[in-house]
Amino acid sequence: MNAPFALGLAALGVAIGLGMIGAGAMNGMSRQPEAIGKLQTAMLIALAFVELVFLLTVFVGMGALPK
Amino acid sequence: MANDIEKKPSSSTTAFKIIIGITLMLAGGYLNSQHTFKSIEEPLAAQGIPLTFGNTISVIGVFLILFPVLNSFFFAPLMTAINERNRELENTFSEAESLRKEMGDMKSAYEKRISDTEAEAREKIQAQLKEAQDLRTQLMADAATAKEHMIAQAQEEISREKDKIMNELRVEVVNLALGATEKLIGENVNNETNKRLVQEFIEKAEVPSK
Amino acid sequence: MLDLIFRGSFIASGAAAGGESHAADAGHHAVSYTGVMVYVGFVIAILIVCMVLAKKGLNNRFFKNKITASFEQLYYFIENLAVGIIGPHGRKYIPMLMVFWLMIFVSNLVSLFFDTAPTADLGFNLAMALMAIGYVQWEGIRANGVIGHFSHFAGPKLTGALIGINFLIFPIEIISEAMKNLSLTLRLYGNIHGGHQAVTAMNKLGEPWVPVGAFLLPVKLLTCVVQALIFCLLLCVYIGLVTHHEHEEGHAHDDDHGHEDHSATLEPEASPA
Repeated sequence: MNAPFALGLAALGVAIGLGMIGAGAMNGMSRQPEAIGKLQTAMLIALAFVELVFLLTVFVGMGALPK
Repeated sequence: MANDIEKKPSSSTTAFKIIIGITLMLAGGYLNSQHTFKSIEEPLAAQGIPLTFGNTISVIGVFLILFPVLNSFFFAPLMTAINERNRELENTFSEAESLRKEMGDMKSAYEKRISDTEAEAREKIQAQLKEAQDLRTQLMADAATAKEHMIAQAQEEISREKDKIMNELRVEVVNLALGATEKLIGENVNNETNKRLVQEFIEKAEVPSK
Repeated sequence: MLDLIFRGSFIASGAAAGGESHAADAGHHAVSYTGVMVYVGFVIAILIVCMVLAKKGLNNRFFKNKITASFEQLYYFIENLAVGIIGPHGRKYIPMLMVFWLMIFVSNLVSLFFDTAPTADLGFNLAMALMAIGYVQWEGIRANGVIGHFSHFAGPKLTGALIGINFLIFPIEIISEAMKNLSLTLRLYGNIHGGHQAVTAMNKLGEPWVPVGAFLLPVKLLTCVVQALIFCLLLCVYIGLVTHHEHEEGHAHDDDHGHEDHSATLEPEASPA
């Protein structure tokens, strides 16, 4: 029962992180609309890295999931 | 590794890569069928990571083939077509731009010529006007002088005529006076002395009439 | 018919059976070798057909052919990516980036309609990541020389007693370089395979009548594009990092950014905090 809960926690953290990245990027974009292209690139890279954390968690924790 | 992404890969390196790619594909399939990596794969699969290294090797081979083949089959022609088209468009644009510039030049030159002509015409008209005015003033002055001259001449003539007539009148008066006196006195007074006397008298009498 | 929709597949992949013996207990379907190869061939066939169709439209002055026009748009997109991130010399990587983009994108699209796809297979993704990172290393060695390239891993140039730090940094950097492979692989696999998992899980909600998982299709479509974009983007970033040095050797450049993307990751997070 612990493993799914842990995965849920990981998802929670990653969701918060993704939201913060999105919020930061939106803030920046609204302040400087001319920098949207660069911000989007940086945002996507950041999203990819945060997402990776969750994927790693899933792969590590998958073995512990109840069958 | 994937060193094949040059603009012009030589055919020998391309062939070399394709051969290596095919070899890798076959090797991947063979190793997979022999379960060579079973000792690594099974623990991973138990962890939930279904990784097959045979696939990896084969796919590397596939990509080694794919890079040069797709590049020479499609990407190189696509890029040349796009670049050529862009260059053509650029040429067209620059041509149009130069044509427009030329037209603008021509238009401005034409406008300049028109304005020049206008100015010239205006100048000419002004000059003609001025000349005419000059002529007018000159003519008027001429006329005025001629008038004055004529007036003076006429006055002179009048006075001369008057003088002549006066003289004639005087002579006539003298003669009449003498004739009348002769008849009155009955003797000839028509000598020099009498004539002078009458003349003097008339001249004296004439003064107030003048 | 309903069953096929529920499985999210129009073609039952005969390949799945082979893999089940490997990992059935973990709930994963490792597709067998031939299965993956069939799918790779399928994707390549789609690509080749599109290219053959697109090649006909190349001669026009304006690409009227829709496929050609979309390839042109793709070219401009990739060119933007390469030139924007790598710099002006990034133009020569465009064909490679396009191959990666097309393979990933088309197999992601395939994964929308079929049980599995090349990108839903770890072996395939690992191969792509290995090629990408290997190519990055090759380019770095070509740009900086073998010693220059590997000394880059040792971090900033320190002197005196601090030189020990370089020996500490070096293995970490080597590991992080190896982890790039893993991150590229797992990201793609996790997203595509996870999409399948999510669809099957949600299908269980409305099991007899409503294929709830089918409503995930738009999200999955977005994932397709984003994952292909991220793979190419990261590849561009990696290439740009190893090839930038040749132009600005003397500057105090990104040695302190040496761990490039993580700093980029941290920045947006740091600002709200």
